[in-house]
Amino acid sequence: MEEKLRILEEEFKADLSQSKTQEELDALKVKYLGRKSKLNDLFSLIPALSREEKSIFGKNLNILKNKISQKLDQSSNSEERQEELIDLTYPAKPMANGYQHILSHVTEQICSVFEGLGFSVVEGGEIEDEWHNFSALNIPAEHPSRDVFDTFYMELKEKDKGKYLLRSHTSPTQIRVMSSLTPPVAVISPGRVYRPDEVDATHSFMFNQVEGFAVDEDINFSHLKGALLHFARSFFASSVNLRFRPHFFPFTEPSAEVDVSCVICGGKKNNSVNQRCSVCKGKGWVEVLGCGMIHPNVLEACGINSRKYKGFAFGMGIERLTMLKYGINDIRLFYDNDQRFLKQFQV
Amino acid sequence: MKFSLNFIKEFLEVKMPAQDLVEALTMSGMEVENLEKSGNDWVFDIEVTSNRYDWLSLLGIAREVAVCLGKKLDIKYPKVVKEPVLLGRKIVIEDSNDCIFYVGRVIRGLNISASPLWLKQRVINCGINSINSVVDVTNYCMLKWGNPLHAFDYDKLKGDIFVRRAKKNEEFIGIDGKERILSKDNLVIADAEKVIALAGVIGAKNSEVDETTKNIFLEAALFLPLSIRRSRRSVGLDTESSYRFERMVNPQYLEFASEQAANLIKELSGGVFFGYKEAGKNPTIKPKRIMINFSSLSDYLGLACSASAVRQILERLGFKTESISKETAVFLAPLFRFDIQREVDIYEEFSRIYGFDKIPSSLPAIKPKVKEPNSYEFKKEVRRLLVSMGLNEAVTFSIESEEELTGLGYENLIKIANPLRKKENVMRPSLCQGLLKTIKYNLNRSQSNVSFFEIANIYTKLKSGFEETSQIGIAYSQGFNDFFFLKGLVNRLLDYFDIVEYEFKPESAKNMSNSLSIVVGGQSIGCLGKIDRQVKKDLGIKEDLFFSQINLQLLMKARGIKKYQPFSNYPAVCRDISIALRKDKKFADVEKIIVKKSKDYFSSLEILDRYQGQDLEKNYQAFTLRIFYQLPERTLTSDEIDSLHLMIRDQLNAQDGIQIR
Repeated sequence: MEEKLRILEEEFKADLSQSKTQEELDALKVKYLGRKSKLNDLFSLIPALSREEKSIFGKNLNILKNKISQKLDQSSNSEERQEELIDLTYPAKPMANGYQHILSHVTEQICSVFEGLGFSVVEGGEIEDEWHNFSALNIPAEHPSRDVFDTFYMELKEKDKGKYLLRSHTSPTQIRVMSSLTPPVAVISPGRVYRPDEVDATHSFMFNQVEGFAVDEDINFSHLKGALLHFARSFFASSVNLRFRPHFFPFTEPSAEVDVSCVICGGKKNNSVNQRCSVCKGKGWVEVLGCGMIHPNVLEACGINSRKYKGFAFGMGIERLTMLKYGINDIRLFYDNDQRFLKQFQV
Repeated sequence: MKFSLNFIKEFLEVKMPAQDLVEALTMSGMEVENLEKSGNDWVFDIEVTSNRYDWLSLLGIAREVAVCLGKKLDIKYPKVVKEPVLLGRKIVIEDSNDCIFYVGRVIRGLNISASPLWLKQRVINCGINSINSVVDVTNYCMLKWGNPLHAFDYDKLKGDIFVRRAKKNEEFIGIDGKERILSKDNLVIADAEKVIALAGVIGAKNSEVDETTKNIFLEAALFLPLSIRRSRRSVGLDTESSYRFERMVNPQYLEFASEQAANLIKELSGGVFFGYKEAGKNPTIKPKRIMINFSSLSDYLGLACSASAVRQILERLGFKTESISKETAVFLAPLFRFDIQREVDIYEEFSRIYGFDKIPSSLPAIKPKVKEPNSYEFKKEVRRLLVSMGLNEAVTFSIESEEELTGLGYENLIKIANPLRKKENVMRPSLCQGLLKTIKYNLNRSQSNVSFFEIANIYTKLKSGFEETSQIGIAYSQGFNDFFFLKGLVNRLLDYFDIVEYEFKPESAKNMSNSLSIVVGGQSIGCLGKIDRQVKKDLGIKEDLFFSQINLQLLMKARGIKKYQPFSNYPAVCRDISIALRKDKKFADVEKIIVKKSKDYFSSLEILDRYQGQDLEKNYQAFTLRIFYQLPERTLTSDEIDSLHLMIRDQLNAQDGIQIR
């Protein structure tokens, strides 16, 4: 039996060496692999063999079949086998996805840093009342920020919490959350805020802020510093530093304004007018946010025992942080929504 | 507020270079915004926060500098002389709520000229123009002590001096030469005949001191901050004097300021002290007593604070230690610090001088809370989804024009009482205008393929109160896609949030005659459609525009639960059918019959093409439909599908206005 296989193989090799054209190769395929081929004849012998022979002969027969088939394929020289070359230098097709606005992206970035620390995100309404926007935040009745020059008031019938207005900061959410939940709380709250500022390269009557606060029995100023440093290093770069400058806000005590070491020049001090960094004006630091320990008057206004609980709070302007991080020099670009602007921030 | 380094040196020796002082002051809470050289002097411009009225005086600033440098101040308080008493004139305070205390000093026989150089430099370097040897002295003393002073030409005053409210429509011409009409909001100083000053704000032209003035009446007073604030606002003025009165002036230094001014005027312009007169009462201030616990302070800051360190810093700041132990202490706040009221104020004072930078940074251990579904997370998901479908996110203003919106038929708008401009005077009732304008902005800049969405709030006035709701707005031009893409997009959005039961009901919406309402559980949660011609025309856009707005809160509420649905492993079989539909019929009529008649066999359908040709009857349009049949439990035979499909064909053909082609 083995002999038959060997002879067949020899025959095929001889035939193959004689075949040059594709037609001849096709003919060989019929001759050796077709239904009436010699190989098939050998297959038909199998049923008559003993069990042991069946297994060996069958196996060898299959090996030969594969060998012939492979040899024929390799010899085939037709154009089908030749890969046609494509000019791959033509332009790519545009992808169909759109672009998230850079402001919402940055908002999400900021929130996610604090979510990582265990903060929850809570959103608040934009039409607020005087009590939530000012009084509860320890802002006295005659404070300049309550001026019509600094706050938009609504033509809505006043209720028991004072005039309706467009919130001038995201802090009213702090009041709403602290009034409705019992500590511990740790919340981050992004949203739109409004102030009657004429629109120019750095001002807009509508902009976005993020408010964050944590209240518990053991919250302290050191936590505030750590949480914000963690944020700055996650958001800007792992190498940045923060500088806490004492400041005054009615709703926090102590209060601080926070500067980040300049992300553009790396915080190099340089007072020479020609060489100094345009972002930090050569100071090496850029103001990014305000913060402090929540004033006990504010906790008390929300019905929280200020002897037992302490908290920190901070607020930052999203446009400002975005402009700083991405080198955007005009706040109006955010609200023009020019697709050529939006497309630059693929996120 | 501007101050000069040479002026500070009247109180203490400063050797530190100006640049270093800038840094030191800034880091202890007095932010220096600018530093400029002026001759042999340095001019500092600082931000005075509203709690630190005391920084509106050089004395107060010098105190802060001394704290920074760890030095003591050298303050020379003048001896206050109240005699002789001024005879023949009374000072009448009509309402002691407006003015607690008023002092006048009269000096006669002056020879007023230009100020000497040192005085000129003092006032100019603090940002005040030099006028003459009397006015400059009043300003110098105001800068030094923080108490505003005013000098009247004594010969121009008739009769008694009154501190009173202005009469309605009383006229007033200030030393700035401008005429103003006063009201009851204005507190004034008047003589028997006329208003001689807008109290605490500005003097009147009619009693101004000039180089011909021989005799002066020098005013020092304590006005109520609120009265001054209202008064100056009602006339639109903001002066060095009102700035200080509004924030509070210290009663302690009033007599020193007045006395020193009188003395300096005599020294520089000659003259003799003629008389003193006062009205009201200069209040005596008691120091605020505050007890603190050092361990509470340490817990508050996250820093171990020792009794001795705290005491040392507070005493540098002018606090007095009444009693102290290892655990607690009682401190008396300095009399020039009305802002120190409770323990936290002391915590702040200590920490800012100790240095915020020396407090370590650590992370709080936030306790876990039950996480509830929130709108922020939901918005994030919507945003991802819409971006993945090719839309760009926009951020447009929530404040729009009442005129424009009323023109479009919007009602119950919430108006802004004090808008910046008339075209931005109401809260928007829809996201439509903002998005359409964004499309226009981009089309005008040769951007085709313009598509946007925005997630923001809209606002409506209700019978009682108002409503503010979050919405998803979607808009694009035909260059991007057609209406049926929008329909698919809304389908996708609903599918994504596992909202299974919903329908599109034809219903006209604002700005859209061709529109569908998205109905979930019997409630409309939004709409989608094609913007009307007139609206496009008014906006100046030629292209077709499509818009959808969905209530985010309602969508969030309708959200279903993701759950595995078994699917059929048996092949679906399809059959095509060409239909001509009369224009008064809807595709939905065809669809309804197919779904109903094919019962469990129905899987889905698909439009292969739509056709409007000459071979069609008038008023007809044609399309080819592919229907997929499938059963979950077995393979379908072609015979049963053929007969089912034939039955459906017949059913359709039997309908008026539907023809099988």
